[in-house]
Amino acid sequence: MRLDLPDLGGVDPPQPGWAKRLPADERIFLWVVLASVAVMSAFTIGWLWLGDQNPPTASYHTSAARFATKTQAFAERYKGKDGRVHVPVGKDAYLMAYRYGFYPTLVLKAGHPSRIWLSAIDTLHGFSIVGHGVNLNLQLAPNHAYGAVFTPTKPGKYLVVCNEYCGLEHHKMQITLYVER
Amino acid sequence: MAYVETVPAGSLREERSRYCAVTGLRIYAGAQALTVANAVCAVLAVAVGGLFGVSMALTRAPSLELLGSKGYYVALTGHGVSALVLWPVFFEVAAMVFASSVLLNARVWSMKLGWASLALMVAGAVMLETVIVSGNASVAFTAYPPLVASPVFYLGYIVFAVGVVGAIANFAMTIAAARAERTYTGSLPLLTYGVAVAAILALLAILAGLVALIPAWLYSQGWIGNVEPIVYRGWFWGLGHTLQYVNVVAMVVAWYGIIALTLGAGPVNQKFTRFGFVLYLLLTVPVLGHHFLVDPSIGTDVKIVGGSLMGFGLGVPSLMHGLAVMGGAEAHLRSRGATGLFGWLKRIDFGNAAVAALACSLLLFAVGGWSGTAQTTLQLNMLTHNTMWVPAHVHAIVVGGTTLAFMGFAYLLVPLLTQRRLWGGRLATVQAYLYGTGLLLLVVTQSWAGMLGIPRRVARVDVGADPSSWKLPMDLMGIAGAVAGLGGALFVVIMVMTLLRGARTSDPGELIRTAERTA
Repeated sequence: MRLDLPDLGGVDPPQPGWAKRLPADERIFLWVVLASVAVMSAFTIGWLWLGDQNPPTASYHTSAARFATKTQAFAERYKGKDGRVHVPVGKDAYLMAYRYGFYPTLVLKAGHPSRIWLSAIDTLHGFSIVGHGVNLNLQLAPNHAYGAVFTPTKPGKYLVVCNEYCGLEHHKMQITLYVER
Repeated sequence: MAYVETVPAGSLREERSRYCAVTGLRIYAGAQALTVANAVCAVLAVAVGGLFGVSMALTRAPSLELLGSKGYYVALTGHGVSALVLWPVFFEVAAMVFASSVLLNARVWSMKLGWASLALMVAGAVMLETVIVSGNASVAFTAYPPLVASPVFYLGYIVFAVGVVGAIANFAMTIAAARAERTYTGSLPLLTYGVAVAAILALLAILAGLVALIPAWLYSQGWIGNVEPIVYRGWFWGLGHTLQYVNVVAMVVAWYGIIALTLGAGPVNQKFTRFGFVLYLLLTVPVLGHHFLVDPSIGTDVKIVGGSLMGFGLGVPSLMHGLAVMGGAEAHLRSRGATGLFGWLKRIDFGNAAVAALACSLLLFAVGGWSGTAQTTLQLNMLTHNTMWVPAHVHAIVVGGTTLAFMGFAYLLVPLLTQRRLWGGRLATVQAYLYGTGLLLLVVTQSWAGMLGIPRRVARVDVGADPSSWKLPMDLMGIAGAVAGLGGALFVVIMVMTLLRGARTSDPGELIRTAERTA
């Protein structure tokens, strides 16, 4: 019946006794793999303190309507003649993602940390700073807000795009983030 | 006195069967027809999915921009649905039928249920494809509300899922019946065991998926006013992530199938291998946290434990299987006289199409496993989330790993089941290497683009904003996509021509070519 394939290991039922204790080489292999997982895990946790890590760790519940009101009030208070919002040093800023744009246009001061509250008001959006060697991505969702502290190092114009598909005009959703000396 | 065979009560059905010339397994006509029918649907789905995929790659190439944004979002949705859901699941259902009946010398428990499940799956698939092409469902395959598609889209998903549940039930009952009728002895064969793990994961995936999709469907009908986006996102990835591991497990099964049928090799150790499958079962669901590493909704502790640490653990079974497959081939060839460190590699015929697909699949899956592990930590996820790095990872594991492994397995199964010689001779080998090379280029260029922060799932970043450094990697990505698309199209041609024109034969040497070179 059979071609000269003597043992079709995966195809046939296993030989009786297959459940015996694993041979030493395989046990050692598993321990080595387990040890490397442990090392990676230790680095992952340890690097939160030892390394120079900065993902935002705090996020908050909010409501889309409340966030929009807060953003509006903030934008109107600090809006300059150029239509941009110059964030005063030490003040919290707000950036709201909606279909299809961000609001308002923020101007930050280089070298000074600013907390930017980020959220979306209608659907899932993305917050992605790209270009000029910068690449930073966060997920935005309605009713949840990030309070992320940014310390811009170099003055310039940074592109912020939405990187979560949010509808047919998704590709138009972008804003410039200004950093001034 | 004539000999009368006693037939156990309840199994009086008579069904034609034959014995496979290569494996000696008993193949019932029904099992054969159902497996082939599911595989044919899979091939059609991958053809559609590939077409969408290539048009996306050519749109993202800035020098070409083939489609407008509307067309791109249609292709985006169609590609995800066809290539990430329909193609692998149709193939996995074919594997379920095959592994529960043919591998156990058994009949399919209920042919009626088998055909009904397939009919539902096909109906769901047709609903999905038509509504996507009509442009009324450009919500990407994730369909995050309040993005809303035509209700037909959600119903298509749901009808398809119900069909898959039917197929899983039939799979379980077929194994139970085979056990009761003692059509095989001892424990389940490894391939059946692996497919069973995949089936359990598929069931979990579908349950989570229904929790996400039923409210989304009600919302699309206007019957409920609101679906909380972040909650939907959680349940959706309960589907998407778990389904991805169904693909991984099925891929591993295909790997073992390929070394068994081309070399006669088994895994290094049955227990070791089965332990690996169990690890997939235990770790898959908790690890879905790695989709939410930069989400504002869950705590950092959950992200680190559920996303990063458990994620490293989930790498373990993949590492075990990847090495056990190669180790199995090595051990077998050494027992057949191969000597030296690499003597066993020289004994393998890499001109064999299934082996070529296996080699490319192992390599690409390793690349994808690495890039996935890299982005499973908080800091690196902030660099890669929703950038082109993600499709690079996904294409390495799902297309490079799973799809190529399925293609290689199909090059063995389809001739064996249809009793037709694989059409095109060496063309299948060319296909595997062409597809593998195209994908490797695609993965490299997409990873490069990802590191620059280029977003995924966007038709283009509007004129004036597009940094000039983005042009080169994205143009190269377009070329890579076209090469991979050519490789994929070749697979579809080979399969269709084998089914329609392949020379009929029952000579085992013509149906399957051994990949062992004689010294």
